[in-house]
Amino acid sequence: MTIPHRRPRRLAVEGRLQAWVFIAASAALALSAGCHVDRPRGDHAHDQILYSATISDPKTFNPVLVTDAASGTVLDNLFEGLIKYDAITTLPEPDLAESWDIADGGRTITFHLRRDVKWSDGQPFTARDVVFTMHVVYDPHVANSIAPSITVDGKPIRVEAADDHTVRMILPRPFAPLLYAMGFAILPAHVLEPAYDAGRFNQLWGIDTPPAKLVGTGQFGMIRYVPSQLVDYRRNPDYWMKDTNGGPLPRLKGQTQLIVQDQNAQYLRFLSGQIDVYGPRPEEVATLEKHAAELHITVDKIGIDTGSLFFSFNRNPRHYVHNGMTDPRLTWFTDINFLRAMAHAVDKQAMINLCFQGLATPAVADISPANKVFHNPNLKDYAYDLALAAKILDAAGYRLIKPGVRGDPHGRPIVFNLTTNTGVKIRDQMCVIFQQDLAKLGIRVNYRPLEFTTLVERLDTSFDWDCVLIGFTGTIEPNNASNFLRSSGNLHIWNPAQPEPATPWEAKIDQLLDQGTMVMDPKQRAPYYWQIQQILHDQLPIIETVREQRFEAWKNSLENYHPTVWGLYKPELIEFRPE
Amino acid sequence: MTRFLLKRILNMIPLIVGITFISFLVMSLVPGDFLSNLRMNPSIPPAVIRQMEAQFGLDQPLMLRYAKWLWAVLHLNLGISLAYRVSVLSLIGSRALNTVILSLSSMIFAWALAIPIGVIVATRQNSIWDRVLSFLAFFGMSVPNFFFAFLLMYFALRTGWFPVGGTFSVDYASLDTMSRIADRINHLILPVIVLGTAGMASLMRLMRSQILEIKNSEFVRTARAKGLSERVVIYKHVLRNALNPFVTMAGYALADLLGGAALVEAVMNLQGLGLLLLDAVRSLDVYLVMGSVLMGTVLLLLGNLLADIALVAVDPRVDFSSMGSR
Repeated sequence: MTIPHRRPRRLAVEGRLQAWVFIAASAALALSAGCHVDRPRGDHAHDQILYSATISDPKTFNPVLVTDAASGTVLDNLFEGLIKYDAITTLPEPDLAESWDIADGGRTITFHLRRDVKWSDGQPFTARDVVFTMHVVYDPHVANSIAPSITVDGKPIRVEAADDHTVRMILPRPFAPLLYAMGFAILPAHVLEPAYDAGRFNQLWGIDTPPAKLVGTGQFGMIRYVPSQLVDYRRNPDYWMKDTNGGPLPRLKGQTQLIVQDQNAQYLRFLSGQIDVYGPRPEEVATLEKHAAELHITVDKIGIDTGSLFFSFNRNPRHYVHNGMTDPRLTWFTDINFLRAMAHAVDKQAMINLCFQGLATPAVADISPANKVFHNPNLKDYAYDLALAAKILDAAGYRLIKPGVRGDPHGRPIVFNLTTNTGVKIRDQMCVIFQQDLAKLGIRVNYRPLEFTTLVERLDTSFDWDCVLIGFTGTIEPNNASNFLRSSGNLHIWNPAQPEPATPWEAKIDQLLDQGTMVMDPKQRAPYYWQIQQILHDQLPIIETVREQRFEAWKNSLENYHPTVWGLYKPELIEFRPE
Repeated sequence: MTRFLLKRILNMIPLIVGITFISFLVMSLVPGDFLSNLRMNPSIPPAVIRQMEAQFGLDQPLMLRYAKWLWAVLHLNLGISLAYRVSVLSLIGSRALNTVILSLSSMIFAWALAIPIGVIVATRQNSIWDRVLSFLAFFGMSVPNFFFAFLLMYFALRTGWFPVGGTFSVDYASLDTMSRIADRINHLILPVIVLGTAGMASLMRLMRSQILEIKNSEFVRTARAKGLSERVVIYKHVLRNALNPFVTMAGYALADLLGGAALVEAVMNLQGLGLLLLDAVRSLDVYLVMGSVLMGTVLLLLGNLLADIALVAVDPRVDFSSMGSR
């Protein structure tokens, strides 16, 4: 039952409410207008300050403890090693060491240090700093990723300061990778030694350190770090390098790295002119090229990705042999004919077109063509050819047992699992392309991506996987991948940590890795690594996919800006063109 | 009242221990650990990984690690972040203020708009106002935050009225105090709109249904029959009764103050806790995650308590004795 009541007098009440909303809204507007800060936009070119963006916060300011790329990028400006590499030729060149002599068949290396280098607190740089840094790196209480690269057959290198500007290193045997390894940052002994002696090194130079306390020799000094916002650098006025006319270097007065943790947001920042340089993703390249004139930018290729992205089949007996029974998958995945058919079933062109907007190239060798000295250019790719793949499978006894289902020589249907890490769209698409092509051959692939930490646990502890799409980043020094290439390595994905090489070709790779480190000259070392790439290509423990073509976009007003996939070429010469 | 408070606070202790223990357990049951990322780095051999495990104490049994953590917490030490190697407290502290400012502003924005708009649409049920505002509310609820953030940033880029992301301008350090405040507010407007509209939409719908429900109840009819003006009926009787669930919600909202909004923070490049904690969970940075779990738990329990106290103040039907027996 309803009692009719009079119409509520709306106007009075809501009139007020509406007024309220109106007032709130206009207050907000007025506030926003009032808060618009009117001041000239910072003129990067006039100030000679280069603005760039980086994707994540640094984790530490301690160069020895760095394990992530973001911290490395931040510290590159501040610290220097004895030797660096030329970003274009990829060959070693002097940095804090003016020159070095190799004697005793490579067992003694004498570094002659520059005499004109000062720490940013004014103290001179000497051999003592080098000896101190090596001592810290070798300290078992300081877990770091540098020590393995300067450890020869499990033994440290003996380091001594012959005088203030000469460091002698005595090696148990010739060890060529040392030249590239000596790029690690040298620390100021006079600043850090007391804290190190007190056992506090692992807490030194965390991100809560005031930037002024970071003492380096690099081109820039850090003046400000605001978490998740920016890192500010100013030119090191005492930097040792001079240009050909004796003028001071670097030419830029400063740098600001904005920390923008989202790639789309970085793109917007570049479009709005807030950052001067940007590494676009494949889908952004075409747009940037189209609008290059109106945006006053240059967009150019800077090289092929340095890493490698491949499918690998698990050939680890620990996964397949239980109670004396061998799972048939182990037989397939160690059968070279089966693997060859798989290699011919990888549709690299489809991957390039669908996943990379055409901006990628088929990968053939395990070492990227960007690694000019060590890349083997003579390998012949496995062409995408499903008919050929079917023929190879048929000939090896893997025949269709019924329409659309292929069996192995014992008539068991071929089914296996494929995985990669979740959250990377490109890898997901590549796996689906592979899955669909194998379905055409009558092979059923169960594809399920896994969370990264879960995937790592499977690859390195439980070994519970069949086929994986995984990538590694590349470095110029090929011996850095020895943990992956060596049969005893724990990242020897397809069958890690073998007590003895399981196959003759894995034994051969082990041997080539040893030989490759015995010759000092990079060009003379190259043939050993070419041969390793040839073996991987022939034996197919990994099936290469594609490599992205990298691009960089930068403002036209920048001069001497030469980005490469290995970093900037001669960054000290970069400047904004005077107007 | 004192007894009630004491009892509630004592009750919190087992809750906090329970919640943190379960979180700790879950973090350890996830396959892999903080070092998983490094295990896949060819230049870091297993020996270095083992050194790090020992250094971070990851090789110790779960119960021992939890006990150590709890013991440290009792001494107000939340431990060291594995990724950053600095204390969790300083890491959270360095970003907490910005997160609180952002959350508080968007909450005020949401509440200040949602309640009056809720009243408007409820008192004019099915009118054009109701339809339009309800449509906007559903729109606000269904558009993903990050997408809305991008739209607004694109708008900012096109018009130049607002900064394209960031917590403050690059030249912030060189500004005077007034300009600094203005700069901060200028950078806050868009994120507050993004986060505020999403919150506002659901609050407004709740307000609307509350008022509609109460408007038709008997005591309102009595009030009208008594001859009270509509204004008094709505403000004094309907609105006050409709606010009950909002008091409880305000208590829960306290827990969100430090939660942060990771996606919007990432897109709009804001300094805050959301992304830091999301990254910590992803990389299994145990102590950083535990620090945030602890903070969230304490704030949630505290918020609940405050809400209950406030409820007593707002609603004469509720008193401490009745809540104590709950």
